[in-house]
Order: sequence, then structure tokens, then C-alpha cells
Amino acid sequence: MFQYDFMQHAFIAGTLIAVMCGVIGVFIVARSLSFIAHTLSHIGFAGAAFAAYAGIDPLAGLLAFTLLGALGVGQMGVRMFRRDASISVILSLALALGILFLSLGNVQGNYSRTLLFGSVVGIDLQDIWLIVVITIFVILVLGAGYRWLKFDSFDQVGAEAAGLPIRWISIGFLLLMAVAVSATVQIVGALLVFALMTVPAAAARFFTQSIFGMILLSSLIAILGVWFGLTAGYYTNAPVSFFIVAFDAAVYFIGMAFQAIIRRRRGAETA
Amino acid sequence: MLHRVRVSHLQVSFNGEEVLNDLSFDVSAGEMFAVIGPNGAGKSTLLKSILGLIQPQNGRIVLDDESKTVVGYVPQSRVIDDETPISARDFVSLGQLSGFFPWPSMQERKVLREIMSFTDTDRFARKPIGKLSGGERQRVFLAQALVRHPDLLLLDESTANLDPDAQERMMELVQKAASDWGVSVIFISHDLELVRKYADRVLLMSRGFYKTGTKQEILNDQAMLKNVYQSISSEADGALQQKSPSAGLSLSASPR
Repeated sequence: MFQYDFMQHAFIAGTLIAVMCGVIGVFIVARSLSFIAHTLSHIGFAGAAFAAYAGIDPLAGLLAFTLLGALGVGQMGVRMFRRDASISVILSLALALGILFLSLGNVQGNYSRTLLFGSVVGIDLQDIWLIVVITIFVILVLGAGYRWLKFDSFDQVGAEAAGLPIRWISIGFLLLMAVAVSATVQIVGALLVFALMTVPAAAARFFTQSIFGMILLSSLIAILGVWFGLTAGYYTNAPVSFFIVAFDAAVYFIGMAFQAIIRRRRGAETA
Repeated sequence: MLHRVRVSHLQVSFNGEEVLNDLSFDVSAGEMFAVIGPNGAGKSTLLKSILGLIQPQNGRIVLDDESKTVVGYVPQSRVIDDETPISARDFVSLGQLSGFFPWPSMQERKVLREIMSFTDTDRFARKPIGKLSGGERQRVFLAQALVRHPDLLLLDESTANLDPDAQERMMELVQKAASDWGVSVIFISHDLELVRKYADRVLLMSRGFYKTGTKQEILNDQAMLKNVYQSISSEADGALQQKSPSAGLSLSASPR
């Protein structure tokens, strides 16, 4: 399959996205922001639809809408957005706006499907370079703010008492999430972004108790999921995103079973 | 003696209601300074003001060298989900903030080992924080505060939920940190027995009433203690036992 340029591009772009999602996902899960990531992806969908309507680059629309969305969430407070009702309202509104822009722009069905479900076929060299830049940017920022972000994500009381600017960390992280979501929507689509951003990280928590270990394992699961998805998609013609999510979900359930076995064994030892 | 913290004429109000009014005291390097008083007296507000989480309306809190003073904080409890997967060691290392690289330096690893050995948390270093007992968790929180080499350590009823053995163990560690490393400690406690055993000086506070003195001066003045605890509890339906059962029980306790 590697004789085709589009598959080479898909593997390069998919691997980069997987690394980025694996790393940022650990913090998304620790900060309980999974559904905010999902909401941001829907806001991104509206942005990409707007881009199609306005005749600008889809990534520009995605970035503009998700960054504004992230700022809005940060301004109004993450706690409010963790509420079911707030998330449903914003998520539905974003979807509705996306549908409106697609209809106003008289966009082809293919484009809508790509936005919602992702596509690996159309990735060209320019897209790859953009994804390289975004991935390096996200990982560098995460690396630079790693100690602060780690403290705030896993122990907010301690971080606040230590004098860390927790509000700015929160807003900065939401903006970084917006950038990561914008890049990822192009590969797996708006509907499944949060799967790639949260399932590998959630699965990694079952296997290790070290934060750095979680980051490595989460990235590895995400990479293997993308490789499996691309390969299976190539040979079966079924959607790649299905295989990616199915793989990640399988690892998650294996992790769950693994932890249950460990617990039972520990229980038996102490009994 | 060097004053590590000097609180002068501190005034804090919430929604027009005065919580702290004209409170002044100082704490020296290596001193164990207890803050006692009934619930609602403003003890936690005082610690939050020192931490900078609350801005006072008036007064000053001066740390001996504000640019360098590191303040450690151990609350009564933290909301830790039993499913929190990170190990005790990783939780302690969260406090190591000063390094440039994301990974810890050799020096930071050494400090982490020393602090975990000091607090006796190295025995369960690899265990998830969510699976530790209350006493073990509090020692992990203390280790996280100590790993930053604090000049000042604030304990907000950190031993309140622990059994007597775990309380003693925790306070012994805190006292050792104060004597070995010169850490100044301000601790809030309702357990006057614990205060009598571990404090050097005591601040007794109620709404608008503050008295600082040696532990003998404060704890032996039973009439003053009774007066302070009863004055505030009578405001709240006169329910001294309900509001602060440990304080009520300890009032008649004899000195150890």
C-alpha cells in the first residue's frame, strides 16, 4: 500500500496527529475536559463549514472558530461547561451553524462527509507540512509548560497553593486544545476527534501509575490505532476512523479487564 | 530572631461581613505556631491570605524575603478520586516546579528520594494515590509541600481526619522539619492536646478577638478559652459540641 502517495501521506499525517493526541489527551482526561474537546470539535465543524461558505481555507475556519470557542469556554469558566446542559446547547448550536453554512455555501456532499467523518485520501504535502508545524508547536508548548500543567491537572489545590496562575494555565490549555482539535478534525472528522484525543489516554491510565509513562503509552496506543485503522481501511475499504476508534476502544476494555484482574489478585493476597 | 512572617493589622471581609479585623502577629524561623479558635473564627481565611489566595482589604503580610520565600500548604483533605491512577511518588514530584526541562534532574531525583524517606512515604511510592489510607495520603501531601523546600509551612487542620497515631506521626514529622531545616510552621488545629504537645506559641482567635502567647499562657487560661469558644457558638444556636466537638472535649484536658 505504500506505493501510493496518498497512503504515505496518510501514515505520516496520522502518526503525527496520533503523537499529538496521545500527549495532550493525558491532560484532557486528567482535567475532565473530554466533552469540552468534543464540543470544540463541533465548533470546528461549524468553522470549516463557514470556511467553505466564505471560500477560505478550511483550516483557517477551523482554527478561528475553535480558538474563539476555547476563549469563550475559558472566559465563562470550565466548570460551567462541564454541566450537561451547557455542553448540549453549545454542541447543538455549533452543529446547527455548520449545517446552515454548508447549505448556504451550496457545498458538495463529499465535503460535509469529510468534515464529519474525516478523510485520509485527500492529504497532500502541504497538509502534511501544516500538521508537522502544528504538532511541533503543540508538543513544544506542552513541554515548556509541562511542570505547571502537570501540577494543575493532577492536583489543582496544590497548584493553586503553590502560587501557579491556574486561570491562565486553564485558558492556555484550552487554546492549545483548540489548535490540536483543528488539526485532528481533518483526519478523523469532527464526530470522532474526541475519541482519538481521550480514549488512548484513558486506556493508558489502566496500565501505568506514572504520568510520563501515561504520556508514552497513550501516544503508542494512538499511533498503533492509526496504523491499524489505515491498514484495515486500505484493505477493506471501510472507514479508517471506525478502525481507529475500534482499536483504541479494544485497548481500553483490555485495560479495564487487566485492572480488574490486578485488583482481584491484590485482594486475594491481602485476604 | 528572624521573623519569617509578619502579619500587621490584617483586615478581611466577605460581602460586607468582617472575618478578620486588625489581626497582628509574627512567626519566627523554625517556630511551631498554632492557630486555634472555634469554627467561623477566620482561621482558614488567615492561611489563605498568607498564601495570597485572598486579598485583604487592609493590613500587610510580609514574608522575610518575599521574592524567595517558598510557602508549602497541606489542607485538611484534598478531593482525590479513588480511581486517580498516579503513584504517590509522582504526586509528590508534582511539587518540583523549578527545573527547566520537563524531566527531573539528578538533584531533583535525590531530593525526592530524601523527602519520601523523611516522610516515610517511600514504602508505598509506587502505589496509586487513590488507594492510600487517609494517614498515608496526608503524609504524601506533606511530602509534596516539603519537596519544594518551603521556608513556611501552613497546615489547615491537616490532621483532623486522622486517627490519634496517624496524627502524632504527622505532627512529629512537621516538628522535625521545623527543627532540622528551620521551616516555620503555622498550623490550625481543634485538638488542644496536639497543640499543647507540638506548638511553641499559640494564637487564639475568635471574631474580632485575638490573643497570642506561649502555649502555657493560652492553654492554661481555661476561662478565656471557654469564653472564646462559647461566645461564637452561642451566636450559632449555642451548639458548641456540634460545631467543634474536639475543641469542646479538649477544653478540660490536662497538660501532658
